[in-house]
Amino acid sequence: MLQLDRVDVCYGSFKALNQVSMTVAAGELVVLLGANGAGKTTLFNTISGLLRPTAGSITLEGRRIDGLKPSALVAAGVVHCPEGRKLFPQMSVLQNLTLGAYLHRRDGEGNRRNLAEVFELFPILHDKRQQPAGSLSGGQQQMVAIGRALMSRPRLLMLDEPSLGLAPLVVNQMFEVITRINQSGTSVLLAEQNAFAALKIAHRAYVIEGGSLVMEGDQQAMLGNEAVRKAYIGA
Amino acid sequence: MNLLFQQVLNGLTLGSIYGLVALGLTLVYGILHIPNFAHGALYMVGAFASYYFMTDMGLHYWLAMLLSGVVVAALAVLSERLVFHPLRNAPPIHDKIAAIGILLFLEAVIQMLWGSDFRRMASPYNGILNFDGLIIPEQRLLIIVGAFTLMLALHLFLRRTMLGSTIIAMAQSREGAFLVGIDANRVAMLTFAISGMLAAFAATLYAPINLVYPAMGHLVIMKAFVIIVLGGMGSIPGAILGGMILGFAESFGGFYLSSDYKDIIAFSLLVVILSFRPTGLFAKGAH
Repeated sequence: MLQLDRVDVCYGSFKALNQVSMTVAAGELVVLLGANGAGKTTLFNTISGLLRPTAGSITLEGRRIDGLKPSALVAAGVVHCPEGRKLFPQMSVLQNLTLGAYLHRRDGEGNRRNLAEVFELFPILHDKRQQPAGSLSGGQQQMVAIGRALMSRPRLLMLDEPSLGLAPLVVNQMFEVITRINQSGTSVLLAEQNAFAALKIAHRAYVIEGGSLVMEGDQQAMLGNEAVRKAYIGA
Repeated sequence: MNLLFQQVLNGLTLGSIYGLVALGLTLVYGILHIPNFAHGALYMVGAFASYYFMTDMGLHYWLAMLLSGVVVAALAVLSERLVFHPLRNAPPIHDKIAAIGILLFLEAVIQMLWGSDFRRMASPYNGILNFDGLIIPEQRLLIIVGAFTLMLALHLFLRRTMLGSTIIAMAQSREGAFLVGIDANRVAMLTFAISGMLAAFAATLYAPINLVYPAMGHLVIMKAFVIIVLGGMGSIPGAILGGMILGFAESFGGFYLSSDYKDIIAFSLLVVILSFRPTGLFAKGAH
């Protein structure tokens, strides 16, 4: 579905991504592991069009998508739920979710159905729908961010560190929801530092270090890999 | 009592006009971070456009105002496309210089077409209403009602429509707006169009009780900047309330001190308020 071929990204003279090649197949849940500053967010921003690659190509189902505007990528079904959530803090939860469906604003019926699904996934958001998004707890804000991304009708959902700063119990819930989203047919690319929890729900994983992909494998291989265990799981 | 009422009326009139001009300025600043010094020139062009539609084409006041709004909105969008958009990645000082360039350019064009004479714009509403001794010129009433109607319309547009909420979204989180598929260019053009239209409406409302001339935007834009600094840069309620504060201060200050000091009051007020509230009155409750 998504294919990156030898992608480079530079900030000025600093090369943040170096010859990154990866794929996400339709229906897959792929995890991107890496420490802070390894290049996870840069990679996500590049796929979603916030940054442009300086070399290499990105294709979605065979069509070149690198260099497209973020709005064109959302329209193509590539939806990025960013690190730090980037909600509209003074708007209500409902307004945030509604704006997620901005590109589908003419399909009121479909949006109502999607909204009902988001509320089913996160019942607490229904109770808090009139509150400003900025007043919610971290976990609830993350739910709004994922809900907003789902309202954009993703075919490939990119989640950047959805567990960051959340209580362990909430993290488990979050991973359950991500599994459910994936099982309903949406491809998921998940960047995580919480390697063990992420690998438990993933089909495959990549490890990024210093802007380069250094390892790749399926769930079993990664969980069994000594280097991965040492570096990211700590066991 | 009657004198006091006249000052309240003057304050409301001035405050309405200042508020409308400051609203356009604060929208552009809050969303695109462009301090648009050319906004005063757009205001001036709005007055000349209405003057032209009324005196040269013989159109009715309301129709002239509407057309002038369209013309100035188009001009504002054009300035965004041709000048500010290409500068979007340049250092902020370039925006300022470019805005002053647009200001000088528009003034020169208007002066070439109409000369620098002072002109009087007639309004069909030059009657005077008398409520049991309280005297209200029709045009002043029109300014106050018109300004409040426009502010309400803007509020409803921003809060209740999808198109309007894209503007607010862009102001609250630029990256978030991109990631839900909002197009930055469309929002930029829309913001400039609204800002230009408000300036043209304000100028057309105010011109009949003032004069129309190429330099008419100078003092207005300086005061509008004072207002948005007072109100907190980018704050919409701040711009409206700041406009009223300035309007009332000028009206009462001009009456009780001396009307020669009217324009100094705005800037003294700026100094005083910023000494106590360096971030402006509404910096936090923006948007």
